[in-house]
Formats: sequence, C-alpha cells, structure tokens
Amino acid sequence: MSSIAGIRARRNELRVSLLRLLDTLSMPVLAIVLGFVGGALIIWMTSGSLETVFAAYAGMLGGAFLKTRGLSETFVAMTPYVFLGLGLAVGFKAGLFNIGAEGQFYIGAISAVWAGIVFTGLPTFIHLPLVILAGAVGGAIWAGIPALLKVRTGAHEVITTMMMNYIAFRLTEYLVSYPLRDAKSSAVQTLRVSPNAELWSLYQVPQRLQDPLNALFVALVLAFIGWTIAEWIFLRPKWVARWTRARRHALTVGIGLIVGLVTFFVLPPLTRAWWLVTDPYDRMHIGIVMALIAAVAVWRLMWKTTVGFEMRVVGANPDAAKYAGINSARTVIITMLISGGLAGIAGTIEVLGVSICRCLPLFFSSGYGFDSIAIALIAKNNPIGIVGAAFLFGAMRNGADLMELQSGVSKYVISLIQALVLLFVAAPAMVRWMLRMKAARDVETEQLTRGWGA
Amino acid sequence: MTPALQATGITKRFPGVVANDRVDFDLQPGEIHGLLGENGAGKTTLMNILYGLYQPDEGTLALNGTPVQVTSPHDAIAQGIGMVHQHFMLVPPLTVTENIMLGQESLRPATRFLGPLAALDRRHAAQRIRELSHQYRLDVEPEAYVKDLPVGVQQRVEIVKALYRRAEILILDEPTAVLTPQEADELFVIMRELAKQGKSIVFITHKLREMFAVTDRISVMRGGKMIGTVTPQQATSEMLAEMMVGRKVILQVDKAPAQPGELVLRVEHLQTQDDRHVTTVHDVSFQVRAGEILGIAGVQGNGQRELVEALTGLRHIVGGNVTLLGHDITHARPRRITELGTGHVPEDRHKHGLVLSFPVRDNLVLCTYYQSPFARGVEIDDYAIRERAQKLVTEFDIRTPSITTPAGSLSGGNQQKVIVARELDRPVKLLIANQPTRGLDVGSIEFIHRRIVQARDQGAAVLLVSAELDEIMALADRIAVMYKGHILETLDANQATREQLGLLMAGVKGGTHV
Amino acid sequence: MTLLPKRHGARFGFRQLVNVAFGIFAAVLVYLVFNAIIGGQCDGQCVMGMLNQTIRYAAPVALAAYCGLMCERAAVINIGIEGMMLMGAMTAYGVNVYAFTAMKAGGMDATVAGEISRWLALMLAVASSGLLALLHGVVSIRFKTDQIISGTVINILAVGITGYFYRQYLAQDIPPGPGTFQPFDLPLLAQIPILGTIVFSGQKPIVYFMMMVTLLIHYVLFFTPWGLRTRAVGENPRAADTLGINVFRVRYINVLLGGLLAGFGGAWFTLEAVDVFNPMMTNGLGFIGLAAMIFGNWTPFGALTGALIFGLGNTVTTTLSFNRPDIPSQFPQMLPYVLTILVLTGFVGRAIPPAADGQPYEKQ
Repeated sequence: MSSIAGIRARRNELRVSLLRLLDTLSMPVLAIVLGFVGGALIIWMTSGSLETVFAAYAGMLGGAFLKTRGLSETFVAMTPYVFLGLGLAVGFKAGLFNIGAEGQFYIGAISAVWAGIVFTGLPTFIHLPLVILAGAVGGAIWAGIPALLKVRTGAHEVITTMMMNYIAFRLTEYLVSYPLRDAKSSAVQTLRVSPNAELWSLYQVPQRLQDPLNALFVALVLAFIGWTIAEWIFLRPKWVARWTRARRHALTVGIGLIVGLVTFFVLPPLTRAWWLVTDPYDRMHIGIVMALIAAVAVWRLMWKTTVGFEMRVVGANPDAAKYAGINSARTVIITMLISGGLAGIAGTIEVLGVSICRCLPLFFSSGYGFDSIAIALIAKNNPIGIVGAAFLFGAMRNGADLMELQSGVSKYVISLIQALVLLFVAAPAMVRWMLRMKAARDVETEQLTRGWGA
Repeated sequence: MTPALQATGITKRFPGVVANDRVDFDLQPGEIHGLLGENGAGKTTLMNILYGLYQPDEGTLALNGTPVQVTSPHDAIAQGIGMVHQHFMLVPPLTVTENIMLGQESLRPATRFLGPLAALDRRHAAQRIRELSHQYRLDVEPEAYVKDLPVGVQQRVEIVKALYRRAEILILDEPTAVLTPQEADELFVIMRELAKQGKSIVFITHKLREMFAVTDRISVMRGGKMIGTVTPQQATSEMLAEMMVGRKVILQVDKAPAQPGELVLRVEHLQTQDDRHVTTVHDVSFQVRAGEILGIAGVQGNGQRELVEALTGLRHIVGGNVTLLGHDITHARPRRITELGTGHVPEDRHKHGLVLSFPVRDNLVLCTYYQSPFARGVEIDDYAIRERAQKLVTEFDIRTPSITTPAGSLSGGNQQKVIVARELDRPVKLLIANQPTRGLDVGSIEFIHRRIVQARDQGAAVLLVSAELDEIMALADRIAVMYKGHILETLDANQATREQLGLLMAGVKGGTHV
Repeated sequence: MTLLPKRHGARFGFRQLVNVAFGIFAAVLVYLVFNAIIGGQCDGQCVMGMLNQTIRYAAPVALAAYCGLMCERAAVINIGIEGMMLMGAMTAYGVNVYAFTAMKAGGMDATVAGEISRWLALMLAVASSGLLALLHGVVSIRFKTDQIISGTVINILAVGITGYFYRQYLAQDIPPGPGTFQPFDLPLLAQIPILGTIVFSGQKPIVYFMMMVTLLIHYVLFFTPWGLRTRAVGENPRAADTLGINVFRVRYINVLLGGLLAGFGGAWFTLEAVDVFNPMMTNGLGFIGLAAMIFGNWTPFGALTGALIFGLGNTVTTTLSFNRPDIPSQFPQMLPYVLTILVLTGFVGRAIPPAADGQPYEKQ
C-alpha cells in the first residue's frame, strides 16, 4: 500500500530524474554553443571582419525563424531529419552503424515516386498510405541487403552500406533519366505523381477534409492514435489494474472510437471556419505530424517492447544477448529493416511533401545522410533528443540560404559547425579540458557504436 | 642481511577505498616469500606498486638497501624487478622470441643506424633464450607462436621474459590459477631452482596449501593492511585462514547427504569443437539426477567451457546427444533450454552473464523479459519488472544503490549475486554453474555456495564446473574429472582424495598417463 | 570458412595465397565477360593498356588501405580516410593553381613554376591530411572518444572545410593551373618485358610512390622494432606498456603516418587523375580502401591485391562506357561498388582484426 514513505520515495525518484535530465542536457547544449563559437571563429578568420560574422549569424537566425514563413520552412527542413535520425538511432542502439541512410533515402524516394506514378485513379486514403509504404519498403530492402550480408558473412555494415549508397545514387539516376522520365519536361525529372498520392500541405487540410472519404481516412488515423494513447495512459495506474482486461480494452477502444467520431463529424466544419495555417504559400505539410508520431513510436519501441529490449541488448553486449536466448541475426535484420524503412519514409516525404513539381529531379538531396548521423549521435540516440537536434539542423539548413545572401558566407560553414558540435558532443572530455572543467561525477561512458569485430 | 627489497609504510588510495594502508613488506635475497590474502585484500595493488604500475601515495621502497623510486614497469625492469601477471602479458600472434625481446629488440648490426627501422635479429635473441631456458630448466621453444602454446608453457615464457631482462626479483601473481596440482608442483621445483641461483621471489596466492609447499615466509594481507608475517613451520591452515578473513572461517560447507531423484540431464558421447574447429570435447557422457550436485573438476582449458556452452545451446554440438527431462536438446536454442527449466551461471559474468551498461533491474530479467508477467505480447510491463527486481535485491542481499544502477557499478560479488538471483528466481530443474565464485570475496563465496546447496535440496539437479578443487570437494556429491576433453573418471565425493583427483586432473589414470 | 588455422596477421600465409589466387581468377573472368560485351575487340595491346590503367586506379585505394592499415595495426580504427583524402585533394588543387599563378606573376618560367607548384601542392596536401589525422588521433587517443564517431567527425569536417573553401576560392574565376603530373618510365625497370610495360612505365609519381610504400610498409611492419612494437600495441597494449613501450606515442605516430599516406592518395585525384576539384570527388574510395585492407587481412600485399581488384573494376567501367555508349552509363558505374561488396562478403568470411582494435587505452 502506498504510504508516506512510498510517496517520498517517488518524489525523490522524480527529483533524481530531473537532476539527471539537466545533467544530460547540459553537455549537448554546451557543445552546440561551442560549435557556433567555432563557426564564428572560422568565418572571422576567413573573411577578416567581425561584421561578416554578425551578418552571417543574423542571416541564419532570420532565415530560420524571423522571416515570413521562416519557422514553417524550418519545420519543413526538419522533417526528413527526424526520420533519418530515428532510423540511425535505432541502428546505433543495436550496435549497427548504418551510414547507408542516404542511399535508403534515395531508394525510398524513388520507390514512392514509382508507386505514385504507376497507380492511377486510386482514392487518397489508399494511395497515400500505399506510397508511404512503398517508400518504407524500398528503404527497408536497401538496408536489408547489407543486414543479410552481415548476418551471413560477417561483412561490416559501414562498408557495405556505404557502397549501397553509391549504387543507390546511380540506380536512382538511371531510373530518373530513363524509365520514369518525364519526356515532356525540359529538366531531367520523373513524371508527376498522382495528385491523390501527394502529402497534404497543412494549408490544404481544411479543403481536403471536405471530401468525406478523406475525412474518414483522417478519422481512422486519429482514432487509432487515440486508442494507442489511451492504452498507454490507462495501462499504468493501479486503480485500473483491478479491472479485467476486457473492461480495460473496452475503455481504450471506446476512447478511440470517440476520437474518431469527433474527427469525422466535427473536424471538417471546424477547420473550414478556423485553421492554423492560412498562408497559401506555406509549405509545411503533415509530414511534421508524422515525424512526431514516429518519434514517439520509436521511443515506445525501444523502451517498452520486447523487440526494443532485444535490440538494445544486442547492441550493448552481443554475447549476453546470445546467452539470454535472443536471436541476434533476427534482431540485426529487423533493426536494419526498421532503420532503412524510416530513412525511406524520409525520402518519401521529401519528394511528396516538399518538392514543388511533386516529382523526383536528377539532383535532389544534399548530404542528408551524413548530417543525420550527426543528429543521432548528438541526441545520444534518444528519440526526443533527435526531434530537438533535427530542429536545430533544420533551422541551420533553412537559415543557410539567407545567411549566404546577406553575408556572402558559403553554406558549407553549416557543415563545419555541425562537425564541431558533433565533435564536442562525442568528446565531452575535450570540452571539459578546453573549459578547464572538472568531471562533475562519474560519467558512465556510454558506448555509442562498436568496432569491426561484431 | 640487507633485504633484496624493502617496502615501508606503503599507502595507496583509490576513490572510495584504501587499497594499501601503511604496508610494510621485506624480501630477503634468495627467499621465496608468499603473500596471502583473499580477493580485494590489496596484494595485487602492492605488487603493482613494486612493479611501477602505480605510484604510492605514501611510503618508501628500497632495493638492496638503497632507496629507489619505481616510476614505471620499464623502470622496474631496469632495476631488476620482473613480474609474471595473473593474466599473461603476452601477445598471442607473435612468436616466443618476439614476445620476449619486445622493447629490447636485438638488431642486425649492419642496419643498426636506422634506429627503430633497423632489421630485427631474431636468431640472436632466440639463441639467448635457449641458453636461459636451459640454465633454469624452463624449456621454451623460441620459434613457437604464443597462441599455440598451452597455458603452462606460456607461463614459463613469461618467466623467461623476466630473466631475459636480468631480473633479480621475480613477482609471481597467482601463477597456479591455471595449473594442475602436478604442474603447480613442477612450478615449485622451478621456483626453488631460481631461488637457489640467487633470485628472490614473491609468490602471491590465495591457496593456503601452496604456502606450505614452497615458501620460506608467509605474509598475510587483509583489507589493505599487512596483518602479519609467519613461517610455514609456525603457521596452521586455520591460523592463516583467520588472518586472511578476520574471523573464524568455516572451511567446509554444511550439507546434508544427497537424495538423488529422477534423471534430469543425460549427456551421451558429446562431441564439440572450439572456435578454431579443433575438437575439444571428445565423447563425454554423464548423468545428473535431481537433488544431487555433480562436480566437474579439471584445470581450465580441458574443454569445460565448450562443454557448458554446448549444454546451454551456445555452441554447436558435433556429435552425441543431450537429453533434458526426456526432451532432446542437442540442437536446441538457448531459449528453449532455458524454458525447459535450466538455469545457467556463466563462467564470464561480464561477457555472458550481464549487460554492464543496463540497470540491475533489466539484468534481473535478462532471460525472462519476454514472458508474463514481465511482458504481454510485445509490450513490456515496467511495474512488474520493478517489483520483482526489488524482491530479488532484498532476498539475495544485493548491495546496490538502487535497481536502476548500471550493473557495471556493482562489485564482483554483487554482480554474481545478480546472476544467481536471476537464475534461481525461476523454478529450475537443472542448474549449471560454471566457475561461480571466481574472483569473489569470502562472504559472497559462502553465500553462493549456500544457495547452490539450497537449490539442490529443493530438488534441482546441479552441474557444478570449477577449476577450484576445494570448491568441488566442498560442494559436490559426485565428482567427474575432465582432462583434454574426456571424462576420465567419476568418483563419489566422500571417497575421493585430493591426490586422486590431482592425478586425474593431470591425465594420470590408474597409474598411467592418458 | 577456414582452410587452416589462420596465421593471423602473418606475413604471407596460405590464406593470402588463396585470396590472391581468387583475385587472379576473378580478373580473368571479368576480362572474358567484358571482352564479350564489347564484341571481342580487346587484344593483347588493349589488355596491357587496361592493366596499366588498373594499377593507376588502384593507387588511391591502396594508399587509403595503407592509411587504414597503419592506424589499425596500432588498434585505432580510422573511417575518416575519405575525409582525409578529400582534404588532400582540395589542398593539392588549390595550392597547385595559386602557387603557379603567384610564381608566374613573380616572373618565373612557366614549366619550372609548374613543376615546383605541383610538388609543393603534393607536400601541402600530405600535410593537410596529416593534420586531420592528428585531430583524429587526439580525439580518439587522448580524449578516448569512440573511434568510429571520431572518424565520422573527420569526414563531416572535411566535407565542410573543402566545400567551404571550394565555394570561396575554387569555384569561379580560377586562374589556369599547370595541370597534372606528367607520366614517366622508371629507368631500368621499364625494360623488363611485359611486366615492365605494364607496371613500370607510363605512370605518374604518386603511383610509383604507392609501389615503393607497399614494400616499405611490409618491411617496417614485419622486420623492424617499430613494426613489432606497433603490432604488439595493436594486439595487447597492456603487455606492451609493461615492457616500457609508450602506447600513446606509438599510436599517435602510426595515425599520423597513415594520415600522410591518405594525403598522397587524395593528391592523386587532383594532381594525377584530373586537373579539377569537385566537392565529394573521392566518391567513396576511402571506404573501399578499408574494404581492401580487411580483404588483405591487414597486410600490405593483401591490401594491394584488394586495391588492384577495385582498380580493375574501375578500368572495366570506363572502358565499357567508352566502347558501348548504348548501355546507360549508370550501370557500369555501379560496378566498382558492387565488386567491393562481393569482395568483402564473398571470400573473406570473418577476417580477424588486431585484438585491441577500437579500444581506447586506459593507463591505470
């Protein structure tokens, strides 16, 4: 029975967790600050004037947040980063260094485009999920091949995934230039995907909801989410534990149903009357919502499921995993499939939500792959942290254009800053040495990756 | 007579513990001085200080009367101190010659001007090694690759390595841990020869008998302090044990006679290979019944590890079969074997038994996390895990700040308790314990021994594999001796004598070497 | 899959022989297929030309592999080779162009200035790559960061630095540079029948350097005290430490030497292959070098074999594209990467790296 001692224990536990949270956050924040300081130094050294530094950072800030639609563009840039970061984090947690994210991103994109082109006349609530699924499957397969090779032959995934990247680049190039090419367009790009396969921009949402089929689709999705959340909330408190399973499920399913019904009947007229996004040029799309859901889903996967537990054990100590009865080969393959799938979805979103032509042009990505490695590592593979880091990187990427315009400083300085941030995050000892700080307490050296000998 | 080595007032502190507390220690020329103490008493720390691996916080050292500072192992070697560590400091892929001359390489004279890029002169070094090994009767083959050598020979390589560098003082850290009683005797012969030729030897061990076998004096350490120095003539086992532990130690475990029940484990003609596909377990057969402890004795490296791994599904079985309660588990996966009622306390707790970065709570359900009540389908129930973890921590007296502390922060004894708690928490019908008390302090050893006997009394069949003959003789009801992958003989524990077992462990059966 | 107990890391064991034999077999197979695809037009002259080209394309991969080898033999994993090579390539190009321009403006004769600027460019490229390697070393050795992360940081940093400087100084309005190194024949060796024509003639300096370095590394690693100590540090650093070897110093120096080699490999791109710099022009060769190193079981000759296989793949790619323009160029371009995967997974099985690979050394 919960007594005073019990309550005090819980409060203590909360306080300890809070302190630990602050402690955990302080290092990355410091690393980020130092990264920007380093960037400022480089700009100052190469341009010779302090004004350039200020202009550059002001430009970045302005581009990222302050200008019209700046914040929404940041969200747009952030979305693929979230998925990629999550994909990489899932891999890292299981001890797999999947640097093939960029290739999986490409394959996901092209698979989605293919699915969007090949099928015509399908209603949105079939076509959109289909396209996203195609992207996920494409990315998953692309990651699954190195996984299979690793499991069967021991080939280390750093090299195989990197090679798959280059193969992906060439393959995509071929597909865009020949079979899927839009012959009518002067630029080298694929055909346009079917309008029902596009990702809705947030501005379009009220309009889309007027179609009852779409409203049904959204209602189903939200009902499902509502049910999941209800399951999560109502699984824990003790007073629910006394109920029977059936009763508990009735409660959660009921909640889901209510959410669904409300969505279906109330949401369309409500959004027609009032909606957040009224700027027609705003490019924010529902992908950002999907990204947040994905982050939560990955968090649940890693810490609340047996599959996630197995992944973490395999990543932390593969010998103990074997001893514990975990099938390492199966875990490795599942992990890479999920990792690749997430990267593939990132590619899908980039193509279907962001590109203006709703197609895949010949050159479209620019180094999302390596950036996302940095994001995952900076966030220490924590899904919540990844959302934050993705936001930062999205802001930087977005602000880089204005920065270049207003100060003449090349966009590549972003990469420099990101590399520095990653460096400082991965080597807290270095930060402490630089700032003459003493180690606060025993830092548990968390092993983020493993060497060759798997 | 001036001591070859004199240590006065040595103090060394680590965070949270005083490893050496004002320790005085002296070594006379040509003597074999035993250093006794249980794990964690401070013997290894003291020797590491003598060898320059640590610097003392306080205290002085003197060699042959002159005060010295030993700043590094390099320095120690230069001053004539050599050390043979418990875990050998050898590089397996290199040859004996290369290992021995490492750091003091012989160079071809013509190329000497190239400095570190000069050509190695292996032949010259090999020559010198042969001379040394002859002089001290150590018999090592210079051209052999260290990884191909048996453990006993590797140890001799380590000794030659020290002698090659003109060591006058030799520190041997737990050298008999990996030897049979007979090989240990051979080592003692070598030690006496070295002492006769003027070398001074510090001999560290935690085995009381060996002290009486070969030492001239015995010093006992406990809790970082030097308790006292006696001669073998003055001392008795009980006295030494009490000095080691600080209280009257019961050297024997209280156990009722075994009441064997149904047949639980049947192993027939088991054959398995090691990682290099060399057959290490040939044709092993035995049975274990409920309510009895079968002890498998033998020096490490005779196939025990592969045997246990084969039985628990961690290693592929090449021939023969294994039956558990009537189920054929020869090719079963580890999880199935666990689900049939097996508990496994592995030999290497860091490698197999625990995930050091995970909290204690997760380690306590490492094998059962997917079963109810800890999980339903794919979902994990944190509350159930937490409750069970609390219960086990209390029941097994696991000293940990909380159940969310990473297992790596716990002491060795408590880590092992986590593993034992986890395995015994399930209703086991077969408990396999492989070196369950290696490296633990006496308190933990007693505790784990009691739990093993308790498991037996509750009806489990226990297979105990240990290289510590004392442990086997204390706990087992029947003893099987393993040598080079065969079970040479199985004896009733009441009737087996130490000499008998020692001979079997060395491969001598019925008077002839197998 | 083991045929014999592996002589781990030994000079030239049975396993290496098997790998080499396999390499030759694969090469012949590739030739036959390739010849068929281009319609049987490849005669003896053509084969010799292709082999010559193979060695040329193998050079950067081999140098990358040697960089990895030097580092990993001392137990420091280095996946930042790609970044180091990229840095070398950019530095070489930038210095080559601007030094030449400056010297010409100062009145020097064009040919002389060209030679000087090329060698200067090579030297500075090697130095810049070495600096990056030193950074990797400091971060991994002194600050004990996870080595794979450290390598990734190097890669990202290199992309950023080279991209930045490229945009600022090398993208538009660049003065004309003196061009790449000129090929030449080695004096006596080129006279050797067949072998001389393939290996020792018509190559540029960095390729010859690569050949020399192969022999040098083999000698140093297996016949000198430095090599012995390096190997000991890589397998059991604590043992080496107790014998008075400074583990950190050995690692730093090896990593630095590796970085210098990577610099040579990077300079190859802009001083020998083409006279231009593009961001990310190394195209994954750093990683392919790592694959070659693993294929070669961390030995120089083994790595060279791997590099040659890759070089062959690249040669076939370019020749194929040239002779059969009807095949979409992307497919031959995939060939080297597919080949690398096959090499890595096919016959290597589980190669054993130096035992302490990837673990930072803690002095107690």
